[in-house]
Amino acid sequence: MRSPHTAKRSAEAVRLVDVHRTYGPPENPVRALDGVTLGLPAGTFTAVMGPSGSGKSTLLQIAAGLDRPTSGRVFVDGVEMSAGDETELTRFRRERIGFVFQEFNLLPTLSVLENVALPLRLAGRRVDLARCEQVLRQVGLGDRLAHRPPELSGGQQQRVALARALAIDPVAIFADEPTGALDSRSAAGVLALLREAVHEHGQTVVMVTHDPVAAASADSVAFLADGRIVGELVRPTAEEVAERLTRLADERERLAGGVAA
Amino acid sequence: MTRLALNSLRHRAGAFAATAITLFLGAAIVMAFGSMLDTAGGAAVDSASEQTLVTMASVVGGWGLVIVAFAASSTLAVATRKRERELAALSAIGATRRQLTRMIVAEAGVLALVATALAVPLAYLGGSALLGVLRDTDQVASGVEYAFGPIAISVGFAVTVLGAVGGAWVAGRRITRLRAREAKLAASLDDARLSRKRKVAAFLLLALALDLAVVTATVFNGKGIDAMQTAGQASIWASIGIALLAPALVGRFATRIAAALERRGGASGYLAAHNMRRRARQMASSLMPIILFTGIATGTLYMQAIENAAPAVTGGDITAAEAKNIETLNLVVVGVIAVFAAVMLINVLISATTQRRQEFARQRLAGATPPQVVGMVGIEGAALVATGILFGSLASLATVIPFSIARTHQVIPHASILIYLGIVATAVVLTLAASVGTARRAIQAPAVEAAAA
Repeated sequence: MRSPHTAKRSAEAVRLVDVHRTYGPPENPVRALDGVTLGLPAGTFTAVMGPSGSGKSTLLQIAAGLDRPTSGRVFVDGVEMSAGDETELTRFRRERIGFVFQEFNLLPTLSVLENVALPLRLAGRRVDLARCEQVLRQVGLGDRLAHRPPELSGGQQQRVALARALAIDPVAIFADEPTGALDSRSAAGVLALLREAVHEHGQTVVMVTHDPVAAASADSVAFLADGRIVGELVRPTAEEVAERLTRLADERERLAGGVAA
Repeated sequence: MTRLALNSLRHRAGAFAATAITLFLGAAIVMAFGSMLDTAGGAAVDSASEQTLVTMASVVGGWGLVIVAFAASSTLAVATRKRERELAALSAIGATRRQLTRMIVAEAGVLALVATALAVPLAYLGGSALLGVLRDTDQVASGVEYAFGPIAISVGFAVTVLGAVGGAWVAGRRITRLRAREAKLAASLDDARLSRKRKVAAFLLLALALDLAVVTATVFNGKGIDAMQTAGQASIWASIGIALLAPALVGRFATRIAAALERRGGASGYLAAHNMRRRARQMASSLMPIILFTGIATGTLYMQAIENAAPAVTGGDITAAEAKNIETLNLVVVGVIAVFAAVMLINVLISATTQRRQEFARQRLAGATPPQVVGMVGIEGAALVATGILFGSLASLATVIPFSIARTHQVIPHASILIYLGIVATAVVLTLAASVGTARRAIQAPAVEAAAA
């Protein structure tokens, strides 16, 4: 099998084809995703936005291999996501995908450096501590290697999480509300690092957020409503994003009112 | 705060299950033996029967108090640690330390009252069965009527509530002394250092065990079955004394075993070794019941095996029938204590492993496969059970060697190794089944949900 982190990469980092995801009983299904088709070119920074309940977190989890579609196909770096058990899916994920979560999800018993090296260890890959250190310096934490996550501020913890994602040299980094638990200054720092990863290191980043300011850091914004992609903004500004979101919410309300009337 | 305590009991019953089961079983044991005192107070009880009943109740009841208090404080320590974040949040919105301690103590008190009340039927049946054994073995006259009354109930409530409240107070004080941020740090890392009080208590218990061992081997040498009086206790005190040192044992021994396994166990071994090293106190709460179970079961069962094989002492010794009675009683007592230690072992392991759901989820999000997570828990369990068996076996020697010297003038007893292998196998199976089984269930939920919980 070719190793995804050394071989030449496909031009499209992530592709979703007619992805559906329903929850609940078959007689009364909740459609979280209702036929999403989406391609994300390598080396781009995409934000996914939508009103709450629009399916944006589901979209991210399915694209990242944390959840499975009810129907449809998911490709990462041109390889279709395996349909095997949890173990196979984990193997697929950890070779290709880096994560950044709102709640950081670092292991408190491991030091900063150990946290960054953990995914490599779990994958049975050679642990290059010098490279892990270099990534930590890149996110501005070169002097915090031996600290443990609870000793750091929220912004610093999120930067450790970003370094952990970068260290595996992933096909794509998926970020779920990465600035949701941070003050605006720390949030700006994390967003700048995400942009830097894309524009200077050629990474692919997909970020779910509800914050128009955060979304404006991305190259483009995909809007989601009721499980469908309903629009896109290229090179967005925070004002444009906010305005589009308000319009989406208004339309929904009108639709709901129409049904009731 | 009392209202808050009642609320948290009502809404988070699951979190208190381990403590509740321990208190329930402990109360049942204490009341079953306590009812022997009620029975002894009956109208038609001759003085010999009365003395047997009183001895039985006070000896076993005394052990009950020690074991219940110990078990209550260890399960409460696990339950309280789980809530560090909640307590930190309460303190952040202005709850004083005294209020927090009062809340934890009130919860434990209410839990003890409920557990004891629920244990009454079981205690009644247990006490009645115990009296049946005493009557069948002719230690108590056959006309003695069973009574379960005020003494059993008051002793049961007093012992259980005192044990629980005392345990909660100790657990609560440690937690509430920490401030919000420190509590978060403490939750993530605890060291193997022992407090001075703990060291002193362990030293005194081990000194007591040594004293009993020396008395058994010298004063009771050649005195026949009387040597059991001191020999039986020695391994119980030694087990409790060593169990108090558990955090240091995790630091010194279990960590080494895990480190040795790390070289073979890949990433699972790596994580297991780190957890051993940096969560010594948490691991110690699982190690303690393994030591108690192994130490007490090995000590008492081999004491009986040596007695069975020993030659009768001529003159002043007891009849074969009496020896048989004592054997039955010994087995009842060791059975009760061993079952209690086994329940405590399962309890502590299940609740300690369930609490790690979020940690498991984070490991999975970092790329750990389900077999890697379960493997990590298995390696930790193996390191703990190996350490627990080693030190439990050492504690049992405080009974086994002196009693063997006293009864047979031999240091190494002539008894089947099979009993020991049975105890070891039970400890291994209980530990691994409880921890690995719980870990398997804990990773059923999707990792994203479990990490956010």
